Amino acid sequence: MDRYAMLTAFGQDRPGIVAALAEGLYQLGCNIEDTCMTRLRGEFAMMVMVRLPAALAPDQLADRLASHTAPLGLTVLCREVPPQATALEPPSEKQIFILSVYGADRPGIVAQVARAVADHDGNITDMNTRVVGAPDRPVYVMILEIQLAAGSRPESLQEALDRLKPRLGVDITLRAIESVRF
Amino acid sequence: MAVRPILLYPDSLLKSPAASLPLSDPSLPSLIQDMVDTLDDSPGVALAAPQIGYSVNLILVDVARKKGERGHGQVLLINPRILHQNGLRIVREGCLSVPDYTGNVRRYEQTVVEGTTPDGRVVVLTTSGFEALAFQHEIDHLGGILFLDRIESLSTDMFRRRAGPS
Repeated sequence: MDRYAMLTAFGQDRPGIVAALAEGLYQLGCNIEDTCMTRLRGEFAMMVMVRLPAALAPDQLADRLASHTAPLGLTVLCREVPPQATALEPPSEKQIFILSVYGADRPGIVAQVARAVADHDGNITDMNTRVVGAPDRPVYVMILEIQLAAGSRPESLQEALDRLKPRLGVDITLRAIESVRF
Repeated sequence: MAVRPILLYPDSLLKSPAASLPLSDPSLPSLIQDMVDTLDDSPGVALAAPQIGYSVNLILVDVARKKGERGHGQVLLINPRILHQNGLRIVREGCLSVPDYTGNVRRYEQTVVEGTTPDGRVVVLTTSGFEALAFQHEIDHLGGILFLDRIESLSTDMFRRRAGPS
């Protein structure tokens, strides 16, 4: 049975980080499955699902990569994930929404919005936040992708979000994304 | 009549521009029958000829196969092209030829399509919503374009859009 690991790595952004990590994984016989990588200001952060060769234990991976990652000053963490967590997902019947939240930066925006989503059985499947705007008037922007179970009512989540608007001083838009297959 | 297998990427035919199809082509009736039979046998609502192995400009769209949709019913178009489209939107799209994957793509809410019907009439169809999406997707197939070629990264779309004209 194949073994899988989730690897996260980050470090000061510069050209060659992805190449170094991918070369290291390739030389160890690892197979890169799904990844998400992005730059957060000056840091480049990578999340990689890796299929391991038979001879490599998950807890050895970070050490064995060090010759590639240490010169770039990357922090590398690695944990095994169960095979059932690595299965490809068939097309989902769940409803997909994009939730945009933005307003003057203040503590608690993420926590309260995420709690409202969770309380309505919404599953956050992707999320980005940025602090933007003028330095003396920072604006917080938060974009989430949410899945709701087929048949659940987005209206009640919308109502909960509407109640949050004045409390947090933010604007919130919940938009359904039509899902089609041709 | 025959149900053809739907080609799956990485079949190279799916990335090849299809050839123009003369109305006089003797294989046209059997090709049309194969398209109809294959769509009937599939869970989909539309098909382009390259998806069943014929690299020619023919599409079949029948959104009435989906509950709650009517559109123009079953439409077979030879050498279709998009004359005009309007109303950008983002849609989560998937394709019978690329199983188990969907991505956010930019499409248009309204699409005006011109093409020739099998009985030789040139028609112009004004489509909207789900049917417009189907025509855009199928006409892309004729150009060797998959929805994968049009995917917008969520974060890129949301945060970098204002950086420049788009």
